[in-house]
Amino acid sequence: MRALAFAARSLTRQPARATLGMLGVAAVGALLFDMLLLSEGMIVSMRDLLDRTGFDVRVTTTPEMPRTAPRMENATETVDAIQKLPDVRTAIAIRFADVAIEHGQGEPLTGTFQGIVGASRPWTVMKGRDLHDTAAEIVINRILANDLHLEPGAAIVARTSCDSSPNASLPVTFHVSGIVSFPFELANEIMIGGTLATLERACGDVTRDQADMVLVTSTGPSDAVATAIGRIRPDLRAATNAQMLGRVEQGGFTYFRQISTVLTTVTVAFALLLICVLLTVSVNQRLGEIAALRALGFSRRRVVADVLCESALIVGTGGLLSLPLGALLAMWLDRILKNLPNIPADLHFFVFEPGALLLHLTLLVVTAFVAALYPMQIVARLPIAATLRSEVIS
Amino acid sequence: MLLTRAHLLLLITSVVLPSGALQAQTSNAPDVLVSRQLAESEHIRVGQTIVLSPHANGAEARPFRVVGLYEPTPDPQRLGSVPREVRMHLPDLLNVTRLPGQAAGTEPADGINVALTRRDDTDAFVRDVNARMPGVGAMRADLAGNAIGTFTVLERFHYAIAAVTILAATVFLLALTIMLVDERRETVGVLRLIGLPVRRILVQILLEGLLVAAAGAVLGLLLAYASEGLINRFFQWKYDTAMLFVGITPRLALRCVSIAIPLGAAATVLASWALLRRNGLRLVRR
Repeated sequence: MRALAFAARSLTRQPARATLGMLGVAAVGALLFDMLLLSEGMIVSMRDLLDRTGFDVRVTTTPEMPRTAPRMENATETVDAIQKLPDVRTAIAIRFADVAIEHGQGEPLTGTFQGIVGASRPWTVMKGRDLHDTAAEIVINRILANDLHLEPGAAIVARTSCDSSPNASLPVTFHVSGIVSFPFELANEIMIGGTLATLERACGDVTRDQADMVLVTSTGPSDAVATAIGRIRPDLRAATNAQMLGRVEQGGFTYFRQISTVLTTVTVAFALLLICVLLTVSVNQRLGEIAALRALGFSRRRVVADVLCESALIVGTGGLLSLPLGALLAMWLDRILKNLPNIPADLHFFVFEPGALLLHLTLLVVTAFVAALYPMQIVARLPIAATLRSEVIS
Repeated sequence: MLLTRAHLLLLITSVVLPSGALQAQTSNAPDVLVSRQLAESEHIRVGQTIVLSPHANGAEARPFRVVGLYEPTPDPQRLGSVPREVRMHLPDLLNVTRLPGQAAGTEPADGINVALTRRDDTDAFVRDVNARMPGVGAMRADLAGNAIGTFTVLERFHYAIAAVTILAATVFLLALTIMLVDERRETVGVLRLIGLPVRRILVQILLEGLLVAAAGAVLGLLLAYASEGLINRFFQWKYDTAMLFVGITPRLALRCVSIAIPLGAAATVLASWALLRRNGLRLVRR
């Protein structure tokens, strides 16, 4: 405790250098904290998004991500077969199609039409009501509602295409029953939801009964349900939320993890080097003073502890400052990265996790200790008489 | 105005060696190019015949002769997913994917790439197509696709990281220069006492700062050049792609130097300024 107070006094004697050292650690620490948040942030956010949808098994034709895999045939029959499995509460098939909404002035608004087969719905109603069984009814997301000032009960004219550009298909009038929130909708993405029959009618009355994926809610262990689906439909790939996360981790999102690892390493090395240099220069400037203290009776252990405490104070204060700074920086960087194409609006790149904070603190503690090793060694090996003599002569 | 080609990809859902009824079709099988990654994972060789199907269950499979392997154009949107792709002539693709009852020639295509004889005409051509062909949207190739957006966003992200790093480095640099200047307090005091004006000493310090900053910038660039290949090789191996992740161009190097040198020199002068304002006797502690 005495060593800490002594180190604090040493630092306050040189306020400019101590403040700059702490600010430097704060800036580096903020970057380090953000990189640790980034390394797991997307996965944590994606897990949260997947869990929030209420479906715990996703079925596609290949291990590719939904909408990039080939479509499955006989969607209705597939949903019925899965629905009959034990431990399955509900199953729905989703077919995605491009849609262009006409609105009188200017270019049509383009978006995605989700056609559903099954009893439950993947969206949450925010205003109005859910679909009834009429083929002309749809639900829309808030972005479309805001863009065209639509309310439940309004009618819209849209061109939908299951194969090519929506501009090539015929316009169809739909009635909006409700305004909903879709899971995984992209920022500024226009989305429409309806039954698969509605979608196929909009596509020109072509009954293909195809789906991009099937979502399943299980009552028991999702692994067992995924295995059971694989057994009845070996041509399909059923994945639990955990397995989907695994696919996501193997996909493009790993880029951010790699970037985070590289920047974490560089940041820690940078902090280590600079704190070590700061302490070493500081100790070298005070060699005479330290030798005098030793001559007055300060033990070797005590002067070494002083240096370690100085390091701990610089890194500790900087580290504390780095947390709010890091949080602000994370918000800024998250806003930048959310402009990436095809990123769901609710997905975040920087997500706070206690584990990240713990690792951040651990790395700072290790940095404070390792950075102080060399200056501690200088102080420990300081020859008292020779140093005092050279101080007097100089 | 010249119509060139349509880029289309067919996702392979089954790759098997031909047998039985398919054997007869293999003699006049259409040509196909296979991506290097697919060729490696499925052990496909040039000259071999493969069977491709548009359906997940392998129905309506047709044989194709592999006439070459290609390296897919790196796509940051698909980073991490191995590009298992083939390329074939558009009529061959349409023969495979045409819906039952659909007349040949009425199939939709994803896009048409156009190479103009004069690049300056691009904007006028885009305007012309959009005005004359309702239902078709033309846009400049350099503005098309999500990849541009991805690159722009990643560039902004990297700039933001660089800005924070420069800020942290500047703070540390100031702390270090303050300490180093303080170490030379007595030398500066003696120079003042023997009659050197403040401006003369400041110029000397500035020159020293410039030299040190230049040496640091050169060392930094050398380190960056040395690690460039290493980083690229690691990420290319990690993602099985030909994409370049780090590219140190002369323009970029110049930008780094133009930031590092003035920053280093400014930090030295700033740290020295407070010292030089003091009296010479105070500096030598007399």
